[in-house]
Amino acid sequence: MMETATSCTPMKPKDYKSGVKPVWCPGCGDFSVLMALTKALAEMRLAAEQVALISGIGCSSRLPAYLNVYGFHSVHGRALPVATGLKIARPDLTVLAAGGDGDGFSIGGNHFMHSCRRNVDITYIVMDNQVYGMTKGQASPTTDPDWDHSKLTPGGTKVNPYYPLVIALASGANFIARASSSDPNGAAKVIVDAIRHPGFSFVHILSPCITFRPEQRDWKKMVRPAPVEATSNPVTAAHRLMTDDNFFLGTLYKGNRPPYQPDLTPVIDDLSSIEKDFEL
Amino acid sequence: MNSGNQLNSGNRLQNLQGNRACVLGAVAAGCRFYAGYPITPSSEIAENMSLEMPRNGGVFVQMEDEISSMAAIIGASAGGVKVMTATSGPGFSLKQENIGFAAATEIPCVIVNVMRGGPSTGMPTRPAQSDIMQARWGTHGDHPVVVLCPWSVEEIYMQAIRAFNIAESLRVPVVLLYDEVIGHLVETVDFSALQNPQLYERKWAQGDPETFLPYANPGDGVPEMARPGTAFRTHTTGLTHAEGGFPTQDPATVERVMKRLLGKVDAHPELVEQVDEYYCDDCELLIVSFGITARSSQAALRQLQEQGIKVGLFRPVTLWPFPQQRFLAAAAGTRAVLVAEMNAGQLIQEVQRHVGRDIRVQGLQRFDGDVISPQQIVDCAKRILQDD
Repeated sequence: MMETATSCTPMKPKDYKSGVKPVWCPGCGDFSVLMALTKALAEMRLAAEQVALISGIGCSSRLPAYLNVYGFHSVHGRALPVATGLKIARPDLTVLAAGGDGDGFSIGGNHFMHSCRRNVDITYIVMDNQVYGMTKGQASPTTDPDWDHSKLTPGGTKVNPYYPLVIALASGANFIARASSSDPNGAAKVIVDAIRHPGFSFVHILSPCITFRPEQRDWKKMVRPAPVEATSNPVTAAHRLMTDDNFFLGTLYKGNRPPYQPDLTPVIDDLSSIEKDFEL
Repeated sequence: MNSGNQLNSGNRLQNLQGNRACVLGAVAAGCRFYAGYPITPSSEIAENMSLEMPRNGGVFVQMEDEISSMAAIIGASAGGVKVMTATSGPGFSLKQENIGFAAATEIPCVIVNVMRGGPSTGMPTRPAQSDIMQARWGTHGDHPVVVLCPWSVEEIYMQAIRAFNIAESLRVPVVLLYDEVIGHLVETVDFSALQNPQLYERKWAQGDPETFLPYANPGDGVPEMARPGTAFRTHTTGLTHAEGGFPTQDPATVERVMKRLLGKVDAHPELVEQVDEYYCDDCELLIVSFGITARSSQAALRQLQEQGIKVGLFRPVTLWPFPQQRFLAAAAGTRAVLVAEMNAGQLIQEVQRHVGRDIRVQGLQRFDGDVISPQQIVDCAKRILQDD
């Protein structure tokens, strides 16, 4: 019944596109992330029907509609628990989750922390533009405290931003990397590594919103590869994050914690001895 | 895979707690994925599931909160597995957005709500029947939902099976709704008539994957479902979607797809409707109640009949959609209707809506955390008939 997980014929990135026209603004970083993701799937030769992509709500969460994998555009902030249920029920599928910084770190923040902890074998891609774009430009958890262009926070948020990589490491994610939409080939490579790595993989992608954060066009000049290789030591990774300015690209951490496996062994194999106590 | 035979020791009669009967019914119906979060008074369901899922080749997972429990069963059901979660009032409130998503995307799932006193934290260890309206209208927007209300431990077992059958065959969220008393009641269940229940399965996508439309109406209102891993790739979204599964805002399309969605449950009364009636043919007073209150009503019925008073009992086992025709038939010819419920007056509004002004409708309501006693119902019934 189950089809093979990989295709025999070479796959091209365009083979994974649905043909639906994205709602994104011209110049949105998410176009590059879509390209990177299709490149990654083609590189891995994954059969489209063996891949499920789960998202929440927001600009970047529209991503599943643009791929011809099994797409699932769920409720705001809830991509990760949906992906968790699907992967546990169907370990044969390659399960990916994707969304934005508001969806993933604000309304879905609790699920992010616990998904890192639980370490189910899924890959989570967050397109971070430090703004709520779909609702026309409000500050998100990753927005700098002095960004004062939102009608909701005209004097800036005055609140320290959330630091996704630190939270991911502290919560126990098994693979942590950063990529940039300005380098789709590099992002594709990171996504391939993330999917191949067992357990919960977190890929933070800087993906500018040129509509509400036009200054983010400069990000492409600020990003640079991290000067060191990935580590499997969380203490080393934590030290490196102390000097991270949010623009180092590459894989920070590759852990070796075994992925979550639901307990399939009955605690009590035979209840008849207990039930005897209640027999009439 | 295990057929869900609950009789490990082969005994016909067993003493069971209501919440355990719920789990055994779910297992017998084919439930193989449970996600949950601890909450009184439903936690025994999670405890029993953590035992029964691994024993039956299924998966139990404790999630980080009520919202993720609901989301996880949606994900697992989308993967093709029969799923359930259980909670009580506050958790049920938290699950509502995802219940609406399951209704809109037509992902089969069963949600158990063991009702406790509310609002808010309310009285976690005391019974209530005050989630009647939340079960029907707790999530936003127009949507189909089915709510089943058992009144005994044995019926919890049977209704759990029915909940799965309805959820799977109509692709709709089904709420199994019962009060804390029934959930914690221990009663003898006679399994001799409950063996090998008839199970209904989901309709899976067939035919040509290239022309497959995941939300097309095959005639009975229930679209075929695509299983991930097969060639029937689909896009599932909570946005209002056309037959192809992708979002639409075209008024004509939206009206068409919404009419199918809203009509599919009503189109299958043979599957959905179930009522329990006692002496409804010839009664002066008709009592309407459900859950533990219907048990009190049954006791009151006997007392009243011994005193020569003609009383009937109408119990909607399927509470939503409300069995309007069956109720009107039962109420025809009565002088008055008494709606007894453990809340401040919820089901009475639905009853009043149907009988109009022809028949007097009186409520007996209790929301102090205690059960309505048979004597209260007897007294109330006599008062109504004297006043008349």
